[in-house]
Amino acid sequence: MNNEEAKFILRAYRSNGADATDATFCAALEQARQDPALGAWFALEQAFDRTVSAKLNQVPAPAGLRESILAGGRVTAPTKFQRSWWQHPAVLTMAASVALLLAVGVALWPKRASAGATFMEFVAVDAQNSLMHHMGHGEKTAALQVMLSQPTTKISEHLSVDFAALRAAGCRTVQFNGHEVLEVCFQREGALFHCYIAQRADFPAFIAAVAPALTNLEGSSVATWADASLLYTVVGKVGRSTLEKLL
Amino acid sequence: MAGDLFNQLVEAHYTPLFRFALSLAKNSSDAGDLTQQTFFIWAKQGHTLREAGKAKSWLFTTLYREFLRGRRRAERVTALEDLGPVEADPPAPEIDVVTGMDANLVVAALQEVDEVYRAPLTLFYMQDLSYKEIAEILEVPIGTVMSRLSRGKAQLRAALARKETGQRSKVVPFQTSPARKLS
Repeated sequence: MNNEEAKFILRAYRSNGADATDATFCAALEQARQDPALGAWFALEQAFDRTVSAKLNQVPAPAGLRESILAGGRVTAPTKFQRSWWQHPAVLTMAASVALLLAVGVALWPKRASAGATFMEFVAVDAQNSLMHHMGHGEKTAALQVMLSQPTTKISEHLSVDFAALRAAGCRTVQFNGHEVLEVCFQREGALFHCYIAQRADFPAFIAAVAPALTNLEGSSVATWADASLLYTVVGKVGRSTLEKLL
Repeated sequence: MAGDLFNQLVEAHYTPLFRFALSLAKNSSDAGDLTQQTFFIWAKQGHTLREAGKAKSWLFTTLYREFLRGRRRAERVTALEDLGPVEADPPAPEIDVVTGMDANLVVAALQEVDEVYRAPLTLFYMQDLSYKEIAEILEVPIGTVMSRLSRGKAQLRAALARKETGQRSKVVPFQTSPARKLS
């Protein structure tokens, strides 16, 4: 990690020491202890943060706000839970049956496109739905997310992942053709990207080279490459040249 | 019992919620309304929350959603795609100068920060929530929170420097008039 990367992480470190036990900061804090220039920057940053925090926490709530909230709360009745028509057990059972039939139909549908193409289409569509459900990354994926967000990281050269450990740590997974694919969102210079990681053994028909191959799909740019055991795909709603810069 | 819990939540969180609301809404009256609205939603729906320990996050998330709901009617929130690259740390006023500033002036500088950065920055400076909890409240990935804190701090430094310059220019230096020549 260079000093710019350490600064990026340390800017999120609270000046009251509440993050002292958070593993995400360990390496950056150690670097600040070892490097006098970074250490000096960090001391100033913390002093600035402490000052702003102290000022913000001096702002009082207006007189009477507490009383009006308490009075309003007393006259606000809790909403009673009412079952909607669609929550009726019979309707739910019927919906489940339809879903099962659809799932079986999809599974048995002849697969005409090549494995690689369908996988890329799948990730492009999943990436487009990011605002709806790309939540719930485990906390240990934070380090990977931070690394991917670094402006200087060349992803195709530096991405090295322990698939099983990342999955066990609670990384978001998606299912494709019955196999798990890990997904990590990250931001680079204001644009949102999604990195999908799959095990090569799960997708033997998907041929990918060590050097990243770029394509445009569903309005997104997609880059794919592989190492000895894993397939990597990065998707972003950006131009090809912007994606290329990350690789 | 439910009334006791409501009172406890108000006691514990109404001031930090008001501060968060003030940074978003930019005026005390709207911030007060937003804070009240949040607690009234709790009074109606809070009993559906299964984990009592999540009440604080729930209140902050609800306040932020209510703010966005009201805001969407007025104008569009800055799109992620519109964000520029992270600036290097801009020149900031000396810590001593910020220490000497009135708290309202510091809050006014915070209110000049773009909304997309202001929300995580305010929650960060309230010091009660970790970056992970901030990510949960604002419903964005952790890396995004870190990135927004970096950008937000750069904007806050620039805004504080402007406030400091503005403050200095208001001070009229005392000048002695040149001594009259006696004829």
